[in-house]
This record gives sequence, C-alpha cells and structure tokens, in this order.
Amino acid sequence: MLDEPLVRDVRVLDRTELAPGVVLIGLYAPHLVMVTKPGQFIMAIPPNGERAATALAIYEAQGERASLLFFVTGSRTRELAELRPGDQLGITGPLGNGFSLPADGAKMPRDVAIVAGGVGIASVLLAAQLLTDRGARVRLFYGARNVDFLIDRDRFADAGCELCCATDDGSFGYRGFITELLAHTPDKPELILACGPTAMLRATAFVACELGVPAQLALEETFGCGVGGCWGCVVPLDRKSPQAPKFPANPKDHDDFVYARICKEGPVFWAHELRW
Amino acid sequence: MLADVDLSVQIGALKLPYPTLMASGCYGSGEEFAPLVDLSKLGAIVLKSVTHEPRLGNPMPRLVSTPAGMLNAIGLQNPGIDWYLEHEVAKFADRPCAVIGSVAAFSIDDYVYVTRRLAARAEIAAIELNISCPNVASEGETFACDPQLTRNVVAAVRDVTAKPLIVKLSPNVTDVAAIAVSAEEAGADALAMINTLRGMAIDVHTRKPRLGNVTGGLSGPAIRPVAVLAVYEAAGAVSIPIIGQGGIETLTDALEFFLAGASAIAIGTANFTDPRIPLRIVDELREYLQNRGLGSVREIVGKANVGISSPFQYEGDEG
Repeated sequence: MLDEPLVRDVRVLDRTELAPGVVLIGLYAPHLVMVTKPGQFIMAIPPNGERAATALAIYEAQGERASLLFFVTGSRTRELAELRPGDQLGITGPLGNGFSLPADGAKMPRDVAIVAGGVGIASVLLAAQLLTDRGARVRLFYGARNVDFLIDRDRFADAGCELCCATDDGSFGYRGFITELLAHTPDKPELILACGPTAMLRATAFVACELGVPAQLALEETFGCGVGGCWGCVVPLDRKSPQAPKFPANPKDHDDFVYARICKEGPVFWAHELRW
Repeated sequence: MLADVDLSVQIGALKLPYPTLMASGCYGSGEEFAPLVDLSKLGAIVLKSVTHEPRLGNPMPRLVSTPAGMLNAIGLQNPGIDWYLEHEVAKFADRPCAVIGSVAAFSIDDYVYVTRRLAARAEIAAIELNISCPNVASEGETFACDPQLTRNVVAAVRDVTAKPLIVKLSPNVTDVAAIAVSAEEAGADALAMINTLRGMAIDVHTRKPRLGNVTGGLSGPAIRPVAVLAVYEAAGAVSIPIIGQGGIETLTDALEFFLAGASAIAIGTANFTDPRIPLRIVDELREYLQNRGLGSVREIVGKANVGISSPFQYEGDEG
C-alpha cells in the first residue's frame, strides 16, 4: 500500500458563493496544507462519475483547511458547485510545479507584481501571502469583467498587497485591460507572476519583455489525466528550457521547441521560454 | 470466509495476476500514476507507443470532451526508440507489475525494427502492436483496416520476437472478425480491441475544428457498445485471448466485456475520471465471483446468453 496516496477522499467543510457562479469550497485536507506550494493544483474527481476530473487551483491552505475557488462554466464545475458541507470529494494532489520562489530570504525579490485575470486569482493568493510574509512589496494587478467579479480583493489587501484593479466596464478601477496598467507602471517590479486567460497571459508576456522583467505564467488548460500520463495538455517550450522534456528532435521537424506537459512540467512556465 | 477466486489471466506465455491492463497512451509509463495508486494491484501497464524516429506530436488542442467520451489527437509524441532504450526502459524494472511495450510505425520495416529492439529488453514483458492509431498521417491506421496488411505486419513482427505479441485492432473497419483471424493466423498471441473510433468536433462559433489535428479518436463510455460488439464478433472467430477495452468504468462494464468473450480488460479514459477505478473493479470482480461461487474469471468469459430465441422471434427476424 502507498502510505500517502496522492488521491483520496476529503470532507467538504464549507461552501460560499462569492459572486454569481463563483464558488469557494473549503476542504478538510491537512495533507494538502502540509505540502502545497503556491501555484499548484488538484484534480477534483466528479462526485457522480461519468466525466473527467477537473483541475482546480488550490486557493487557500492554512491549518487543516485547503480551499478551491472556481467559476461555474460547464457541467463539471456545476456538479462541484452543488457540493455541501459534510459531502465527500475525491481529490488528487497537490500536482504541478507551482511558482518558482526562492526558498531563502536573501534571494527573495523585493518588488513583485502579481497579475490575475478573472478566476486566475485562485492561483495567486498563496504566492502573495508567502511573498508579503517574507517582506516583499507585492502589487496585485487584478482584472475582471466588472466589480462583482473582483473576487475577494480585500483578502489580498489584508495580506499586505497593494491593489491595482481594472474592469472591462469601468465599474471599479481602470477601464480596460489589466496588462495596460502593468505596462504603464512607473516603478518596475523585479518579478512578475501571472495567472488568467490565455490572452491576458500573452499580453503579460509581451509587457514583461518590454519592461525587461522575468515573468512566470501559470497556464490554464483542459487536462486529461492531470499527472503527465496522457500528453493531452501541452505547450510549445524552448528546447533549451530546464523544464523541457529531454526528447531528441526529429531532424525533419526543424523546430527549436518541444511540447511540454502543462500539468506535469508546468503549469508555471517562464514567459520567455514559451514558444506560443 | 469465502473461497478465494483466481483472477489471473494468461496472455501467451505471460501470466498476469489480475485481468486489468492500463490502456496504452492513457497511463504514461506508469511512473506518473505511482504516487496515486498501488501499481502492484494492476494486471499490467501498456506503455505509450514508441516509434522509430522521435515525434513532436500534434498541435493543441489535443483533447476535447464530448458526450459520454473524449476525442484525442496526441499524435504519438515520443522520443523515438534510440533515446527510449537508452533513457527510459531501464526504469521500467522498478514497476511492481508487468510492463507491456507498445510499438507504432508507418511501415512493416519499422514495426519489425522497433519491435526487435524493444522486445530484446528484459524489462518488457510483452509487445503490443499498435497498428490502429487514427491520429497520425493517413497511413497510421491502414494496417488494421486490411486483413492482408494485418497478416503481413503481424507475421513479420512474429519472426523477430518470441515474447507475447498483442495486436491492437481498430473499430474503423467493416469486418473486424476477418482482421482478427488474420492476426491470429499470422501468429498473434492476443488481441487488444478496440482502439479509438475516428471522430471530429467543430466549434460552431469560430467554425474551427476543436482539435489541432482536425480529426481525432473517440474514447470513453460513448464507444462501449461498439467495443463490446467487436469483442463479441472476434471472440466467435478466434481462439487467442482478447483484451477488451472501450469505455470501461465500472464492474458492470467490465462484465459486459468478459461475457462478450474478452479474457482481460484494459482501462484507459476512466483513469482520467478517477485513478482508483482499476483497483475498484478488481475488488468488485473478486466479490462478484465469490458471491456466485465461481472459482475464476475464466468461468464467465464468453458466457453471454445469446443462443436462446424468444418464442416471438421468427426466422430472418434479427431485430
């Protein structure tokens, strides 16, 4: 038997609807809290079977409780949104590499910009907490369609983050894309972390390149197995990246990239190493 | 105390303790699932297919959810046989269950070349010949679509290995029994059926195909009845064991395949729903057999009750 299998049933502790179709589920999962790194995820096994498991970011991890924050976008997340306190949920995790943050204080970046779009906020709270705990200045560049979907922003303020918000309709903060705010920031951060829709991540990569600041992007994709077994979720990555699978190139391909698994080698990649 | 039951299954010279194989392409090399489930409770792991040359694989998207199933078009991404032998195969010795190599190719010469080199390794317990991948340029699936080509490729590969040879067949054919017979006559030790059904999905908003490769292979519960029929038809035509696969998620699904004539089953897409499913099916199968006083899984293989006509059935009425 495995002593600590990564797949197990856990109990739902609480459920909150933070905005229409935005659900926060707290789980009794001390095993996750012990080992989770910021930016990692779990695969949630559908309570009624029949469908593939869903990858969800680990939002909070404290004490004996870990939580999942997600938008209800389809049948799988709808099923998960129906969970109630006391229900059991099968989860596999923590999975993925998470953000690469220096373990020792001396190398800790002093000024970090975190860019989050929509549900991407779920992947960055742990990173924000860890960075502010270690004395870094953290600015959260947070974009959403309107003020109702700027979920839990007080949480980040409480954690010591400075907030810069943008909404599509101007109902709060800047009207427009959050990456425009990042591009025009007067003081350049040392490091950028980002999670959100692919278009936002691409724009973040572009802005990071313009600013000359290294950026780590947490990619979102539909996973198959979630553990690297099926090669269904890939992104073209520079062959020279330390994260790249060590596959030899086929001379007929003439490509300098290799497809890396988002669930296994990622979901966090350095922006300058992606070949998308 | 209930009597113990024999869940073992014989595939050529290979004896597996459980009749549950992990389908090729769905379980990586097993290493990925080792932290999740106890691999010693699996019958065998069929590895992801390897080819002669390295393959980049298809562009994204490679997976699309469809009703009761999934379309995939991975495109046989793999490092090629040279790198595979040098860096990967030695690791398989650690697996607590049998490891079956899967070989894909585009010519008989390459099938022979890759099989000969892979089968020579002690870590590889058997070879599955993937002559039915639908996700690579046109010739990929040709072999499994023609009885004569199946015969030729299986016979050529048979000549270069004495290890158990499993031939994976395609459902995208008119008469799967004829192809099964060809494979058996050419020396196959077992058949794996079925590979995925060809399929396609289009995003009606963008009008673009939902797979980077345009077309893909359909798996999951959606294809189960197709697979059960293919197993049933082949089992009536050959005497070698059949590994039934296609949308197996529960004991009931597994029993359908055994009753249709499969000696073993393979689980693929269901591992993406819950990696504990293969272990659960084995536990439930043991209990099912014990409760019925059956000594082994072999006692239900091919025992579908299809011979008895109802009093209301007339000659020529097959509906």
